[in-house]
Amino acid sequence: MTEQIPSATAPTVAEGEGHTSSPRLWARVPWTRVAIGVGFFVVAIALAYLRAGNGDVVRQAVLTGILIGGVYGLVAMGLTLIFGVLDIVNFAHGAFLAVALYITVTMVSRLGVNPLVALFVAVPVMFLLGAGVQRFVLAGAMGKPLENQLLITLGLALLIDNVLLMSFGPNPQSVKLPGDTGVQIFGAVATVSRLLAFGVAIVLAALLYVLLQRTRLGTAIRAVAANEAGAQLVGIDTRRIYMATFAIGTACAGAAGVLVAPLVTIEPTTGELFNIIAFVVVVLGGMGNVIGALVGGLIIGLTEQLGALYFPGQSPLLSVFVVFVLVLFLRPQGLFGKAS
Amino acid sequence: MRKTWIAGLALALPLALAACGGSTPPGTAGAGGATKAAGEAIKIGSLHPLSGSSAADGQQMDNAAKLAVEAINAAGGIKSMGGAKLELLSADSQGKPEVGQSEAQRLIQEGAVSIVGTYQSAVSQNVAAVAERNKVPFVIDVSSADAILAQGYKYSFRLQPSGTVLAEDGAQNLFDVSKAAGKPAKKIAILHEQGPFGTAIKDTFSKKAQSLGMTIGPVASYDAASVSDFTTQMAAVKASGSDVLMVAGYYRDGVLVANAVKTVKPGVNAVWGVANGAFDVPTFPGEVGAAGEGFFDSNYHLDGTNPDTQALMKTYQAKYKDQIRTAAVLSYDAVRVIADSLERSGSADPTKVRDAIAQTNLKSLIASKGPITFGPTGENEGAAPILMQVQSGKVVQTFPKEFAQTAPRYPATPAS
Repeated sequence: MTEQIPSATAPTVAEGEGHTSSPRLWARVPWTRVAIGVGFFVVAIALAYLRAGNGDVVRQAVLTGILIGGVYGLVAMGLTLIFGVLDIVNFAHGAFLAVALYITVTMVSRLGVNPLVALFVAVPVMFLLGAGVQRFVLAGAMGKPLENQLLITLGLALLIDNVLLMSFGPNPQSVKLPGDTGVQIFGAVATVSRLLAFGVAIVLAALLYVLLQRTRLGTAIRAVAANEAGAQLVGIDTRRIYMATFAIGTACAGAAGVLVAPLVTIEPTTGELFNIIAFVVVVLGGMGNVIGALVGGLIIGLTEQLGALYFPGQSPLLSVFVVFVLVLFLRPQGLFGKAS
Repeated sequence: MRKTWIAGLALALPLALAACGGSTPPGTAGAGGATKAAGEAIKIGSLHPLSGSSAADGQQMDNAAKLAVEAINAAGGIKSMGGAKLELLSADSQGKPEVGQSEAQRLIQEGAVSIVGTYQSAVSQNVAAVAERNKVPFVIDVSSADAILAQGYKYSFRLQPSGTVLAEDGAQNLFDVSKAAGKPAKKIAILHEQGPFGTAIKDTFSKKAQSLGMTIGPVASYDAASVSDFTTQMAAVKASGSDVLMVAGYYRDGVLVANAVKTVKPGVNAVWGVANGAFDVPTFPGEVGAAGEGFFDSNYHLDGTNPDTQALMKTYQAKYKDQIRTAAVLSYDAVRVIADSLERSGSADPTKVRDAIAQTNLKSLIASKGPITFGPTGENEGAAPILMQVQSGKVVQTFPKEFAQTAPRYPATPAS
């Protein structure tokens, strides 16, 4: 199974420590695909103009779509890492995100700090939680049939949801970002908290990319993803890599949780909201591909917003799943996945 | 922290025990408890979503049902039955129709003479069928779908106004209030959740509004389970030049609507909730701050001008450290209806209790146009929505006059 879903970046494993020079990085950009993507985007916007007949609405849809897409990508990044390396469909990802939400709520209400400060607590805490969960709960199920891990993560999600319900109660809570006002951008408006979530999502994606491409740990992670037996043969401790990857993925959920805290109503089940969309994004972007997750998130965000303009009165999810099915049909390995 | 843990444990233990009770073989308790030994408590089933995404309402509703049983027992129980005490059997529907159905069956097997529930229409639909099959009365506290009582069921009764009544009165209230303010509503933009609830409200509301001479502007729907932003929809409302935005949805999405209204400033005279799950909830103004100021909601609501309701609000606050919501007051009323029927029938035989419920004439703790009486289909004929508005960070009753705590403020252009 693992051999069939290497990330798009897998070939560079052969290049040793990843000293890829920038011209070659440039050459690796799939220009035809980018051109097709941009073409689609232009046509989509032109159609939206025709349907809506109002520039303000379309500009708002594009801005909102991009910003929401950034959040989707942020949530999906950790998921895709775990998916690509450990081959685990992690249903507990949303629940981990909810834990980070409650860490943020608790810090803001008890200490009165800026919600962003919670990043410095939530990310390390979630890293340790992820490491612990992998080591003590999931390690035994590694390499077992898919449904074993699936049931474990599903059970974990239920457990976390209900522990949160028990300790924090069912009442909805909220977190406010100080100075969170609307900002005008090209005739459309966005709140500071959304811009911030988007910006950090980009930074986080870049950090993860560098981690995977330019560090020993990242190289080892990619090696395990590409070929587990081969990685063991060259002396990589796959159990430690599994633990580290799961921990990094969970830490991403932690960062996402802190950043979306000002954007959502916080309830024990809030994390589940992101689960379905995040899985769609992961499959769309190519399993195990961090940049793919970010781009996939943007595509889904834009599709959702522009689709609502094409089919007013219909569910926005309609267009999302039309695009999803189309992509699965044309590129079953995902937009950024390599054909097996 | 320690206290919340203990409270959580205390809450979870009885639930766990109740769940264990489910494993007793069926038949030992008899189907319906018609053979009741003297001195044994009369059991009432309370079936609500105690976990899952509606747990906040579900737990409140279960708490209120408990309070009602305690109050009735403290006042001497069912006097016509020698002061027999009531006992509440709580069950968790998890908000899932199939779980609700099996839990209803379990409650009946354990001897519940009547069931109170269930919040979600889809769950109530299944429970109503179970109640009918077992000939055990089912008093619906909250669930708006018209379809539940459209099957000709004899054993199901509904306290809250049906979806049709909510939507029609919502349009009528808008017409009356905007006309009285000298700015009659002309073009209504609609934003509704895409499920059966929001769609039914939208359809009935549009028809009624058009018959009152208003036009319907852009209509947008959304998936309440996954929506995360409304700025695009709000930009469309702004571009359409509508003067009222009608919103039919739940709590979380209602908060997002308020935030989008604040960001985009669609320039409407009013944001008008119809049976909205957010705009009349006590926690809403606190969560959205100034963004929710002036929002209306035409909805069924507890009667804050009724001294009995005020007493219940105080008791609830003292015991559960939380503001009671309307849904929970309906559960309280539902238990009162059953106790009153037991009193009049003098029997714990579910069929006799059902006949007594059909003859109910009881003053409600909910704002309504008359006492609780059930029509031939089981609808509460006294039920009617009233108009609430967020004023100075508080949800207040504003219309009609007999329930008004203060006058409605219209136009109420939000975030101005």
